[in-house]
Amino acid sequence: MPVTETLGQATIDGLAYLGDLAILMGRSLHAIIVAPFQGQRLRGQRVVHQAMSAGVGAIPILSLISFFIGVIMALQSAYELRKLGAIALVARAVAISITRELAPLITAIVVIGRSGSAFAAEIGSMKVNEEIDALETMALDPIQFLVAPKLLAMLLMLPCLTTWADFMGILGGATFGVSVAGFTLGSYIQATLHSIAFRDIVTGLIKSVMFGAVITAVGCQEGLSTGLGAEQVGRSTTSAVVKSIFLVVAVDLVFTLLFYFTTSR
Amino acid sequence: MPLSITKRQNGAATIVDVTGEITLFNAPDLRKVLMELLKVEKARVIVNMTNSAYIDSAGVACLVEALKVARESKLPFAIFGLNRVAKEVFELTRLIHVFDVYGSEEEALRAAQQAPSSAAV
Amino acid sequence: MRPRSSRDESGRQADGGIAIRVRNLRVNYGEHEVLHNIGFDVKAGETIAILGGSGSGKTTLLRSLVGLERPSGGAIWIRGQDLCCISPREMAELRKKFGISFQGGALFGSMTVGENVALPLREHTRLDDSTIEVLVRLKLEEVGLSGYEDYNPAQLSGGMKKRAAIARALTMDPEILFFDEPSAGLDPIIAAGIDDLILKLKRAFGMTIVVVTHELASAFLIADRMVLVDKGNIIAIGTPEEMKANPQPRVRQFLDRVPDPEVSADEGFLDRLTQNLRL
Ligand SMILES: Nc1ncnc2c1ncn2[C@@H]1O[C@H](COP(=O)(O)OP(=O)(O)OP(=O)(O)O)[C@@H](O)[C@H]1O
Ligand SMILES: [Mg+2]
Repeated sequence: MPVTETLGQATIDGLAYLGDLAILMGRSLHAIIVAPFQGQRLRGQRVVHQAMSAGVGAIPILSLISFFIGVIMALQSAYELRKLGAIALVARAVAISITRELAPLITAIVVIGRSGSAFAAEIGSMKVNEEIDALETMALDPIQFLVAPKLLAMLLMLPCLTTWADFMGILGGATFGVSVAGFTLGSYIQATLHSIAFRDIVTGLIKSVMFGAVITAVGCQEGLSTGLGAEQVGRSTTSAVVKSIFLVVAVDLVFTLLFYFTTSR
Repeated sequence: MPLSITKRQNGAATIVDVTGEITLFNAPDLRKVLMELLKVEKARVIVNMTNSAYIDSAGVACLVEALKVARESKLPFAIFGLNRVAKEVFELTRLIHVFDVYGSEEEALRAAQQAPSSAAV
Repeated sequence: MRPRSSRDESGRQADGGIAIRVRNLRVNYGEHEVLHNIGFDVKAGETIAILGGSGSGKTTLLRSLVGLERPSGGAIWIRGQDLCCISPREMAELRKKFGISFQGGALFGSMTVGENVALPLREHTRLDDSTIEVLVRLKLEEVGLSGYEDYNPAQLSGGMKKRAAIARALTMDPEILFFDEPSAGLDPIIAAGIDDLILKLKRAFGMTIVVVTHELASAFLIADRMVLVDKGNIIAIGTPEEMKANPQPRVRQFLDRVPDPEVSADEGFLDRLTQNLRL
């Protein structure tokens, strides 16, 4: 009996949390899409600032990681394909796994570590320091002022970062292919272009937009619900990272299922 | 009361008659008029505040900007007709002695005419 | 936006209209009721000092007045509008007429002092950048912080943060000012400067001012009326003269700065000290 009770409570809490995220998303989207037509400025400068730190700032580390992942994918698939005498299919295996799955996921995880946690920490410490209250009493909506610019920046930057990760991952695969598997650079590129459909890239990018929304919503929600005291900021940051990773993977699963059942037949 | 700003020539000076309250929300209008007079027409400006019941800090800030421009082009710039409340605002911001404040239009005009003119000609 | 002339009737001029009306206010933090049945009026153009012991609920009262705490009972009207029932948009319009300095300053750590002070102007007005710049310097000058525009809040001392917060509260020349202990932690000279500023603001703009303070001398100097809060109840309210003449023991104790009588260590004392211990 207590087990089912706990389970039930957890489910209710989980759904309530998703509801909170949805409300936060709705209000930020309203601030981005509708409010500018009601004469309220969207804070362009803040969007650019966020896009620089969340997007451009992530490029070095993301490049390195996705390059390595590209090499690893090539190695892993070559290991099996060699046995089948089909080592020429390495390019194809790398291209598909990177564009459909790994680039969006790796990008999301890098961005969670860099920006999702930073959102929670920034907003959380503003909360603790009464800055959020100060914003409200200045008739500035914290969601419009803080969350909306972050959301817009993330919705724009994640697809860009993912595209870049696609490129770096394939470059990693090519490095292996050219040096070990007997490809020339030209033939590797040829093989890659043959094997990926436009759809693979687009589904990856759609996913990445969803991931951007999830990461922003969770980071900001955790920040806004920070309790009293400085140690609560740390707690918010940790739980923003954990919850974002979980939700990103969950969203990934749902979308992959959706793509699978809508296109496989 | 909405702000209305009119200009008229009186002798060597341009009198800017301000009617209504100068606030955060309409101060830019006053600033525009003053800046144009000072920068484009190089006029000797006298601001008539007799019919302005209220000026807030933003209005004062605009006048400070105008005064700075006038000083830079060596043009006289004066204010007259401050009521008690407006004087308090100028005193609060410690600006009452920075501006040339006069009691009446004649006084302000006399001072403006005496002032050496380098830019007007 | 409503025409300015109609605002004047209740706001700008000290014409005796009611700026703030509080009735039967109760505020809870969770189960714990912090304010019990608070009621008082603040006339437009009046300066009210809220006094009371530490933890008596002054900050909570101030936060309720500006709509940051949701009352569990009673009602608050600001300029005739009932806070419980106004739309977010009306609330925003109302708050544009507020200036608030928090007990802890609440300066935005990611902005410079100048940007902090400029923020409401940048967001709510179409003033030119140079006008805003001048205005920010004027305000910092008024609180004795000229030259600190480009400092980060973290680089300021406690008292300087407090003054920067006051400057920020003043930028829009608000109709109603809420100060939570503006002179706590300031040296006597600067504290006197803040008192002087409050008096000037009242004269120049006819502002309605609500000040929470511990400084009795300052309260007697600036306040038209005083509210004395004790453990979440108002125990006295009146002009400084009326307060001086108030015979209630608790009021006398507060105003004459008499410490609580020393309770001799009884049985209960030992129990309190050793409560929940496993010895
Ligand atoms: N966020 C909160 N959550 C729970 N209890 C709170 C909270 N804020 C204040 N309290 C409690 O409410 C009571 C009144 O606090 P408040 O801050 O209003 O006191 P105060 O009169 O401003 O004191 P001081 O003069 O020390 O600033 C205290 O008992 C405090 O413990
Ligand atoms: Mg307090």
